[in-house]
Order: sequence, then structure tokens, then C-alpha cells
Amino acid sequence: MSEAVVNKAQVSSARCSHCGAVLSGEHFCETCDRIQPVAEHTDFFAFIGLPRRLRLDETELEKTFYALSRQFHPDYFMAASEAERQASMERSSMLNDAYRTLRDRVARAEYLLSLEGYTEAEKKAPPDLLEEVFELNMQVEELKAAKKMADEDEIAEAVASLETALAGLRTKLAEIDERLFAQFEQWDSVLENNTASGEKRIVLDRMSELLSHRSYIRNLVRDITEVI
Amino acid sequence: MPVIELSMSGLPKSGRVVGIDLGTTNSLVAFTGDNGPEVIRDESGNALVPSIVYYDDNEDRLLVGEEARDRLITEPRKAIYSVKRFMGKGSADVQEDLSVVPFQIAADSEQVIGFQMGDRVFTPPEISAFILRDLKRRASRFFGEEVTQAVITVPAYFNDAQRQATKDAGHLAGLEVLRIVNEPTAASLAYGIENRDEAIVAVYDFGGGTFDISILKLKDGIFEVLATNGDTHLGGDDIDNRLITLIIDELEQGPFKGAAREPVVFQAIRKLAIRAKHELSASDHTLLEIYSPGQPGGEYNREITRDEFAALISDIVERTLGPCKQALKDAGLNPEQIDEVVMVGGSTRIPLVRNKVRDLFKREPHIELNPDEVVALGAAIQADVLSGGRRDLLLLDVTPLSLGIETMGGVVAKIINRNSTIPASASEMFTTWVDNQTGIDVHVLQGEREMVADCRSLAKFTLKGIPPQPAGLPRIEVKFLIDANGILTVSARDHRTGQEHSIEVKPSYGLTDEQIEKMLLDSFEFAEEDLRKRQLVEARNEAETVMRAAEKALAEHATRLISEQERDGISRALDELRQAFGGEDYVLVREKIRALDDASHHLAEIIMDGAVLAALKDRKASEVAEG
Repeated sequence: MSEAVVNKAQVSSARCSHCGAVLSGEHFCETCDRIQPVAEHTDFFAFIGLPRRLRLDETELEKTFYALSRQFHPDYFMAASEAERQASMERSSMLNDAYRTLRDRVARAEYLLSLEGYTEAEKKAPPDLLEEVFELNMQVEELKAAKKMADEDEIAEAVASLETALAGLRTKLAEIDERLFAQFEQWDSVLENNTASGEKRIVLDRMSELLSHRSYIRNLVRDITEVI
Repeated sequence: MPVIELSMSGLPKSGRVVGIDLGTTNSLVAFTGDNGPEVIRDESGNALVPSIVYYDDNEDRLLVGEEARDRLITEPRKAIYSVKRFMGKGSADVQEDLSVVPFQIAADSEQVIGFQMGDRVFTPPEISAFILRDLKRRASRFFGEEVTQAVITVPAYFNDAQRQATKDAGHLAGLEVLRIVNEPTAASLAYGIENRDEAIVAVYDFGGGTFDISILKLKDGIFEVLATNGDTHLGGDDIDNRLITLIIDELEQGPFKGAAREPVVFQAIRKLAIRAKHELSASDHTLLEIYSPGQPGGEYNREITRDEFAALISDIVERTLGPCKQALKDAGLNPEQIDEVVMVGGSTRIPLVRNKVRDLFKREPHIELNPDEVVALGAAIQADVLSGGRRDLLLLDVTPLSLGIETMGGVVAKIINRNSTIPASASEMFTTWVDNQTGIDVHVLQGEREMVADCRSLAKFTLKGIPPQPAGLPRIEVKFLIDANGILTVSARDHRTGQEHSIEVKPSYGLTDEQIEKMLLDSFEFAEEDLRKRQLVEARNEAETVMRAAEKALAEHATRLISEQERDGISRALDELRQAFGGEDYVLVREKIRALDDASHHLAEIIMDGAVLAALKDRKASEVAEG
């Protein structure tokens, strides 16, 4: 299984600051049981003890989050040494950051892409929407103008047509999400079968593009909602 | 098992951690004992200490609580109340408040408010520290040990500066503040709903000066806050002000025209308004009455009904609903998905408030616990967790406001979103804009809006000592960490060399470390007179404890464990302390306590070693003392 590899990959010859034992990459020293600082470059998946799969059981994730919270939380290290208190703070903040990112499907996909070397893609309009987007921007400008003139009829008309457009955009968003989540399965099987890196790229590229479309439309929806 | 005093000296520093609710109107202190959490009451059974501080500069006299409240009516210029509304604020933030309180603000209050009281100026953390010191004494008297550690609660919607100001106040009062806990979260602990397997709970906390709504998920002893929202400027004070304005407006029509400008009259009106408010929670009408014996025809009275009152304040109550809806939205929940609603804070006694909350959540809110005490009880439970007393409960709270940094064009880039579980962190990479630039300015803000001008400035700092390099080459990684108190710390390091960078953070609103140090000295100096009496009482209390322990040790162990000579030494020291105890000189009492301590040190050690070494390992002195 790939889990073990991912988990231990980061750790080379780190030693426990308390007892000097060689660390295995676990949260606590196996020899003296002291909480350990987070190794550099630890990613959220490895930290939580998960492979980089995109489909994950959210109930299980919550369980893990609660269990690890009970192990790391600063509340339980008030009387410990400075080093342990620091380590507890580091581990619980990382746990919180990791849980926040991984429990949300979109944030999870974005995070995976960043791990795989993708920078945040420029927000791009989906090609089949280009014309519509152009039209929508016009309508937004018209509405703004109508508002300036306080022309009630014009305003009502523009609002009505933008609202119809909004409904369309929301449907489009749902569609994109569906396609994005379908890629999750692809990614997991690529990961499972250790497929050639070319195939991996294709899946990642697809997700990156979908995410860029997604954030473009979301911004558009936000802008229109604001004007209305 | 014999009872053993670990420290025979010293009003022993208590290992106890108390929970303090530092409220706008009232404050109180609680602890967790064998029977669960309980509030500490004074001799007459009062738990609440009015959050009022009186200071007379002529007599250098300081009063806190009830006594200060009594003076508020007769000498309003010398008393400060509702100081919580001024914590972490600058003068520009509080213009509205200042229009309804008779306080004089010192010059130079832009970053920290200064209350001018005679020839002295006190900041809000100092005023709060006087209240905390009073609570600390109350707790220390109660335990016969000096309480030095506390959990203090704040409104969930408090920003960084307000939290820091509260922590500063604790420090000034001689308390180590182990944790700043959010009031609604604390209340949820006290309500004991954890008995259910899983529940979504909304805590509606409407206090004297602030409003909070928190939505929590309770599961297996974990209290996970899903979302919080509120208004740190909305509370019972605002409701009082409506009634005060009504009365003043009507007075202006009659023979009392202009009278309310007198602080004494104003305070009388305020007292009347507050009483009427309280009465209207129990009865459907009440009488507002003012008369002046000296003034012919000088009488004002009118009846006010609950409905009239409700109409007068309905928009204030309505304003609490917006944050409720936002919190629900942030938590991704509908009102129907809330299993329990818990009411906290004195303002939730108002029938209109209960009605609105019932309507919004479509269920009957919990009002079983005293809304004035529930927060302090929760703080005591959290204090118990922090002191290692219990591990079955865990609070996972969130930061109420997004954290951001200023970027090009005065835009705020969010780096930690609101409702993120704390501790939370974010790392940002900074670089230089021009060649050989050696410093980078960073501006940190809190708030939800896009522009710097619309957010709350939190701090500015400069990354210094960057080696001269071409623009864009240096890579300085800055780590922002919001700790479990909701307070920000910042650290930076050079990404290429791994070297830590020095940061001098200038808080935008708040006291610097130097100012706090100076205040510590100030308050010491100032309390000198007061202190002498206090010292004697404390020294005597301490002496009692020590004498009792020594007597007991002598009686139970001495013949067995130590030489006759040593025994005589202890007896002699004991006698001398007894004598000093009868006198007025606290320094002498302390001296004799120390002498007895020295004489009995060896005995204490032997008892310790022999009897309970193993059991002691992980326990605190005080617990051992109680056996």
C-alpha cells in the first residue's frame, strides 16, 4: 500500500529532542512518548495518515480529527515543557488546517493540485460560455447605468434577465462540480494502480481546468448577485 | 494516610485555576470542586461583583464592586462602569459610548483610551485589573491560598486587541491567564448537554454590553464550534439607554428641564431605568418616578407597560438576529437543524428577547441555569481541564474574524478565514520590491471586508535585516499563528538561509510591554496604603495555615522522625509566629513564617519522601495538601 510510503517519506534521521531516540515520523516519540514538532514539508495527507486519494469518508475523517485533537490539543500540555507546548501548538494548528482543507471536496482537490506542483490556475471562462459571459457583462453594465438613472422599469427588466442568467450559471456550476468529482475516481484509480506519470498528468490537468472554470463562474455569480 | 502540607511556608500559592467571567455589568469567579463547578460568593452570599471601579484622587482611595456602585450615584465623576466596552479600543471607536457616559477621556487616547480620574489616568486594562484583583482576593480568601492562575472569558466576537487587553488586565492583577475562553462556548460547557450523544447547539448570549451567537456540535465530549458571530457593541447598556433617553426627553418638557445634565441626576435616572427594565421582565407594567423635595411641583411619574418597552427596544433585539442567521449560514445549517438553544446573559431575561429567539429557532430556549452565572461556571470547567482535572471534555473553538494582510492598492488578502478552528496558522512568502531593500513592512488586519480602510488594523511590523539582494530574490516566510486564546503571534524566517528574523510588532490598539511593566509598578505604588492592611490580613491567613500544618506535623510525626533538638526548634518558631500573629506588623509575621518554614523544612521533606513520593509525582501541591 502506498500509505506507509507517504507517511514515512519525510522523515530521515530526526531525533527526539527529549530522549534522543531516532524518530519514526509518528506524532509522539516511540521511546519516551513526548509529542514531537512537525517535520518540515509534512503535507496534510501524510499528517493525518492518509494516502493522497480524493475520495474519502468524511465521517471517518471527522473521527480521526477528533481523536488526534484529543492527543495534540494545547489544553492537555499546560504543565508540559516549553518544547512540548510548542509541539502541541504546532501539531494542533496543523491538524486544524489539514481538517479544514481536506473535509471540503473542492479545497481538497485544490490542495492536491498544489502538492503536485500546480500553481493556482488563472480563472478562465469555459469556452462554451464565452459568448454568454460577454453578454452578461453587458447586462451588468446596463443595470448599473439604469440604477444611476433610477429608471425603475429598466432596473426591473435588467434584474429579471440577470436572475434568469444566474439560475443558468448555477446549473453550470453544479455540472462542473459533477465532472470534477467524477475525476476523483479517475485520480484514485491512477494512484492505486501506480499508472505512468503521463496518465496522472492528464487527470490533474483536467481537474485544474475544471477548477479554474469553477472559480471563474463563482466570481461571476458573486459579482452579479452584488449588483442585483 | 496522614495529611501533608507540601509547603509549610507561605500563604501557599494555590495550584487551583479559577474561572472568571469579566462582564460588562457584573463579574464573578468560580472554581471546580468535588461537586462540580460552583461560583464563589462573599460573606453575604453575593456571587456578582458589579464591574464598577471608584477612585478618589484626594484620598487615593479605590473601591470596587458594590461599594463603588453606591458611590456612582453620589460621586459619578469618580466611578467607571461598563469598561469592557472600551477594551482594545481607541478614542475614535467610542464616540457614541462617550455621549452616554459621564467619563472624562484623557488626551492621547487614540490607541488606548485613558480615563481621567482626578490627576490620574487609568486605561481600560487597569480598570479591569482592579476588578480582577478583587475577584482574585475573593477566591484567595475562600481557599486560604493565593490564587494565581485563571481562565478569563471574553465575548466570542472580541477581536485580537480586545482579547489582548483582557489578558493584559489579568497580568496587571497578578494573574497568570492560562486561557481566554469565549463566553458562549464556556456557557455550553456549563449546560451539561454533553450527556447527549450528538447534538447541534446554539448559544445565544446577550449580555450587558455585547452579543454573541455560537453554534456548536457536541459529540463524545468534544465541543466543536462550527460558527460564531456577534456584535461587541450591543447589549443591555443599549437597552438602558433607550429608557434613559425616554425619561430625559420627557423631563425636558417639565420642571426638570436641563437637570439630567447633572451627573448626579443622570445616574439617578440610569438607576431608575435599569430597575424599570428588570421589573418589566417580571411584570407587565411598572412606574417611573422622580421627585425633588426642594422643587415645588418637581415631580415626574409615568407608567410604562411591557408592550411600550418592547416597542422601544425591538430594533435592538432585532439586530441580534442578523448575526444569528449569518452564523447559521456559515455553519451550513437551517434553524430546524438546531437541537438545543441555550440562553446566556442578563438581557435574555427580557420576554421580547425570548420570543424572538423562540421564533427564529422554532424551539423553546433553555433558561434553566442562572444566565448571570453560567459563563463563570463554564470557565471553571475549562479551568479544571487546563489544570489536568479532566480529559473527557475538549473545546475546539474558532476565530470569529478573518485575518488578512494588506496588499497592493489597499486590498486585504485573507490568510485565515473566520470560523477556522484554533489554533490555526498560515504562512505567507514575502519578498522585496526594489534592489537592496533590507526591510519589508507588513500590515495585519482583522475583518471581513475587502479594503484596508474597512477592516480593523491589528498590527504593523517590519521584517528587518534582509541581506541586500536584487529585488524579488529574498524569500521571507512569515508564519501567522492564532493560538487557542484567539490571539495572533507572528514569526518569520529567511526561506533560503533558514534563519529566524526579528520582528517588532506594533499593536495598532493596545498597550506595549513597556507600558504594562510601568503600570505594574504604578499600581503597586498606588495601592501602598491599601496594601498594608491587606498585607496584614494575608500574612495572618498565611500564618494560620502554616501554624496549623506545623502543629499537625509535630503531633503526628515529630517524635518518630526527627531529633528532640529539631523538634524544639520547630516549637520555638511556632511560638514566635503565634506572638507576631497577634501584632500589627505584617513584615514580622512574614519573617516568622519564614523562620518556621526553615525550622520545619527538614521534617516536611522526610514526611514527603517517606509517605507519598510515588503518589505525588503527577499531582499538584494543593491537591496533596487536601489529601
